Amino acid sequence: MKYTAKKIVLMLVTMILVSFLTYTAFELVSGDPAQAMLGTEATPARLAALREELGLNRPFLIRYFSWLGGLFTGNLGVSFSYKLPVWQLIAPKIEVTLWLCLISFILITVISLPLGIWSYRRSGKIWDFMHTAFNQLCMAIPPFFIGILLSWGFGIVLRVFTPGNLPDLHAHFFDAIRYLFFAAVCLAIPRSAMTVRMMRSTVIGEMEQAYVRTAISRGNDRRAVLTRHVLKNSLVPVVTFLGQTMAELIGGSIVVEQVFGIPGLGRFLVASISNRDYPVVQAIVVILAFWVVLTGTAADLVNQRIDPRLRLEGKR
Amino acid sequence: MKKHYNGYLIAGLIISGIIIIMTIIGMFWTPYSPTAMSGAAKLQAPSLAHLFGTDNFGRDIFSRVLKGAGTTLTIAVATVAIGAFFGTLIGANTGYFGGIVDDILMRLNDAVTAFPSILLALLIISLTGTGKKYNVILALGIVFIPSFARLMRTTYASYRNANYIISARLMGAGSGRIMMIHILPNTVRVLLPALTIGFNNAVLAEASMSFLGIGVAPPDASLGYMLSDAQGMFSVAPWYAVCTGLVIILLVFGVGLIGAGMQKQGSGVN
Amino acid sequence: MKKKFLATALVLAMALTLFAGCGKSAPAEPAGTSSAGTSSAGNEPAPAAAHADEINIGIAQDLDDSLDPHYAVAAGTKEIMFNVFEGLVKPTPEGNLMPAVASDYTVSEDGLTYDFILRDGIKFHNGDEVEMEDVLYSIERNMGSDGNEALIPALEAIKDMKADGSKLTITLDEPVPELLNYLTLAILPADYDKQDTAPVGTGPYKFVSRVAQDNIVMERFDDYWGEPAKIGKVTFHVVEKIESMLLGLQGGSIDLCMHLTSTQTAQLSDGFNIEEGSMNLVQALYLNNAVAPFDNVLVRQALSYGIDKQGIIDLAFDGFGIPLGTSMFPSFAKYYDDSLTDYYPYDPAKAKELLKEAGFPDGFSMEITVPSNYQPHVDAAQVIVEQLKEIGVTAKINPIEWESWLNDVYGNRQFQSTITGLTSDNMTARKLLERFRSDMPNNFTNYNNADYDELAKAAIVSTNDEEQTALYRQMEKNLTENAANVYIQDMADLVAVRKGLSGLTFYPLYVLDVSTLYWAE
Repeated sequence: MKYTAKKIVLMLVTMILVSFLTYTAFELVSGDPAQAMLGTEATPARLAALREELGLNRPFLIRYFSWLGGLFTGNLGVSFSYKLPVWQLIAPKIEVTLWLCLISFILITVISLPLGIWSYRRSGKIWDFMHTAFNQLCMAIPPFFIGILLSWGFGIVLRVFTPGNLPDLHAHFFDAIRYLFFAAVCLAIPRSAMTVRMMRSTVIGEMEQAYVRTAISRGNDRRAVLTRHVLKNSLVPVVTFLGQTMAELIGGSIVVEQVFGIPGLGRFLVASISNRDYPVVQAIVVILAFWVVLTGTAADLVNQRIDPRLRLEGKR
Repeated sequence: MKKHYNGYLIAGLIISGIIIIMTIIGMFWTPYSPTAMSGAAKLQAPSLAHLFGTDNFGRDIFSRVLKGAGTTLTIAVATVAIGAFFGTLIGANTGYFGGIVDDILMRLNDAVTAFPSILLALLIISLTGTGKKYNVILALGIVFIPSFARLMRTTYASYRNANYIISARLMGAGSGRIMMIHILPNTVRVLLPALTIGFNNAVLAEASMSFLGIGVAPPDASLGYMLSDAQGMFSVAPWYAVCTGLVIILLVFGVGLIGAGMQKQGSGVN
Repeated sequence: MKKKFLATALVLAMALTLFAGCGKSAPAEPAGTSSAGTSSAGNEPAPAAAHADEINIGIAQDLDDSLDPHYAVAAGTKEIMFNVFEGLVKPTPEGNLMPAVASDYTVSEDGLTYDFILRDGIKFHNGDEVEMEDVLYSIERNMGSDGNEALIPALEAIKDMKADGSKLTITLDEPVPELLNYLTLAILPADYDKQDTAPVGTGPYKFVSRVAQDNIVMERFDDYWGEPAKIGKVTFHVVEKIESMLLGLQGGSIDLCMHLTSTQTAQLSDGFNIEEGSMNLVQALYLNNAVAPFDNVLVRQALSYGIDKQGIIDLAFDGFGIPLGTSMFPSFAKYYDDSLTDYYPYDPAKAKELLKEAGFPDGFSMEITVPSNYQPHVDAAQVIVEQLKEIGVTAKINPIEWESWLNDVYGNRQFQSTITGLTSDNMTARKLLERFRSDMPNNFTNYNNADYDELAKAAIVSTNDEEQTALYRQMEKNLTENAANVYIQDMADLVAVRKGLSGLTFYPLYVLDVSTLYWAE
């Protein structure tokens, strides 16, 4: 329990730090939001009135904490560009991006874990080289390039989906998922390659451990040792890695959403940055960062369930 | 044992070596001026006169790729240098001394790594302005600092209480001297593969940034910029995308193999 | 182990369905959206028939500012919202004005009194009839009567507005020849305060919804006073990346897309008609006339001789575009003087000679600031850099963000030269020419010519159309003779239109009129 508590406290500390950094950074660059909202319409009287209305006259820390509170109550201010509440704008986009990442995550798990074990079994010199080469190749292709090739092949030539038009997630759920599937593949390819490599080297490393040698020399079936002991012990680094994967996917989605024309958080973020719509940027950045911290902590907690030794480490 | 891992190193060195040598040649000489335009030679397919064909201004793509690879290399090397230098500086001090500074810096490090790297680069660019090579270098350089810092911190921490370090300390060596002379050479084994990974991440990140419109802009042209430019004319001039794409892929692939080879060598020595 | 993976897969599948269940509780979109029509597409090309009563239009820029027509500033927003709003009068494709919210109007001979008759029974999209009170509110809002700065300064000349039944009489302090152009300002309901997010007007289409960075939906307004729009539902899809736009067009999710380049349209094989209009803007290398060396007329003339506009059009625009020689484009036939186009024929030798005369025998270095997100200007800049090498001038491109451009170049005039396109958003020559008057706040090129100022002052107050036209033409000539800027072209506006879709109408304005579009049987 202590371990869990410590992890959660650490997570909260990081979250507060992240949000504070973000808030301060934008506070510094965005200048006066009232000026930004009024633009050329600004007169001293209107500026003063708007500042009062937005609560800009309050001290910095108070503003920060009320904004932080807004993160949980959904009151994140009003977009400079759209004049709509930020939360109302980004809520549907969170859903889209979440689905994209989820599908991609499932793909990575389903593809790379079996492949990692399979590639471990083929561990000759030639296999080793082919494996590494293929792996490096998958990681060498810029993701947007894969995206264009995929949408060209499946969208234009095969017409499996219609590029540029994500069906409505609620009205046409399966069409939407099919659309997102291709974007998810594009996200999953380089990351799967990394996961396979990681899985493979972990299993190889574990198989070289003394307990494995002992188990096998005592007449246990190699395969049984693999499934019963090695995989279980390899799980810890893999889960950690998958936790990081969730974070990487969020970053990757920024590019992929552009290629596939998916109205998600990443695309909205890029557009808001160029519009200097700081309330939106601030909110999205913090949400993404929280997501990363959250998945990292979740991975740690899962690991602690798998490997009780980690609980002891927590006490150290 | 040795033959086993050298395969990667050799293959990687050959592939990336060819591209890097071409790039260096490209800094001094190109078959055509990379900016010379020709209305008569627009969007021509590859031929002997134009190895990679021409783009929509009739410029020789091969010459532009040579020049663009130079920009890409500059960005990647500078970025990794910034990341590695400051990362080592921070990591070495926090790892060696530990204590409260270590705790604070590592918490801060956690906070910064909570931002996906492309997001962080995007944010920094949005503060410094788009379109300039130096801003891209700055943004990516900052993004890379935390990962290097973390790596070096772990390495330095593992050596902090090694016997030979303790004896050096007893003999009166200063902390700076120990960090520089006694520990730093030992970190090379982990640092080198990390440098290759960083290099590749920088090349790919720069390409993604160009695609998002926040990378370099004309008159600068990186490989990433050219690739995203080429995608707009994929069906009329597929060679443009294919040739530039191939050069990026080979460069990253080659450097990746070098990294893999060095990692294998490292584990072999162990 | 297999079992374990199976189990994992099952759990994930369950999680998926759970998520799906949650998702469904949110309000679903009305059935029959475009996605239903295209998502089932098999191997055959996307059928036009499925769209019979709807159309999908690709736009590169989101409507990301206020939708209130009086406050919207982005050209892209005005272009689309043209379908939703109307003023007392509205522009025609020919560049004239026709009655809209007013059914008729008369102008007194001295140009001081305007009478408008409010159209009988005309309705807003929310079903309310347009009252005289709404008209007064809309005009007053732009005059600055509410104590704020006037949104349209020219309207400050209005002395009095009198409503008498359905007749509105506007009297002026002094004649404003373009007053009718300004009265294309949108008439809005007086007692409605959500104009900026859910706008209501009187146009042929009513605004339905906007999803940020995704789409904007409009539907035909059935109570429209004029000829009703032919297509029932319009969806504007926001697609920023041109690669994705092309994929969308070819994949069938987009039927029409404006502002494409020739390289882009070349990729669209069959299935599309490419229609060519013009952007109605003056693309030029705008020079800061207040900084050296461009404060020297000889240098400016040398650049004009040393830049080959047809060469730029051929190289960067595949020959699409109309070369220009002054701050006026051909759509304004009345004011456009074609003879100025070749005033400075391409002549590098002459250019070098002039440079020598100006004291730059070895040329000089200059900087061209371009908004990096606007590809046509970046492309033109790249060609110009090459051309200027010929006359010994070393030009360097300085790409900056649009926001910085607005601020540094347009606002603070901190630049040497820049490439941009200037437009007239209210169909007046005044908008194009008056900005070069030395005392104008938007004279970002710092053009300073006493003759020009005189001409401009005379032109603005002239009530005689013939005399005014002559004055405007003299102003154009003045700009050319003094080589105020290096004029390039009126860029071509290439529009990809799916085959089967007809009725695209070009305006001498940056607008897209959806109401004339229809699917042929």
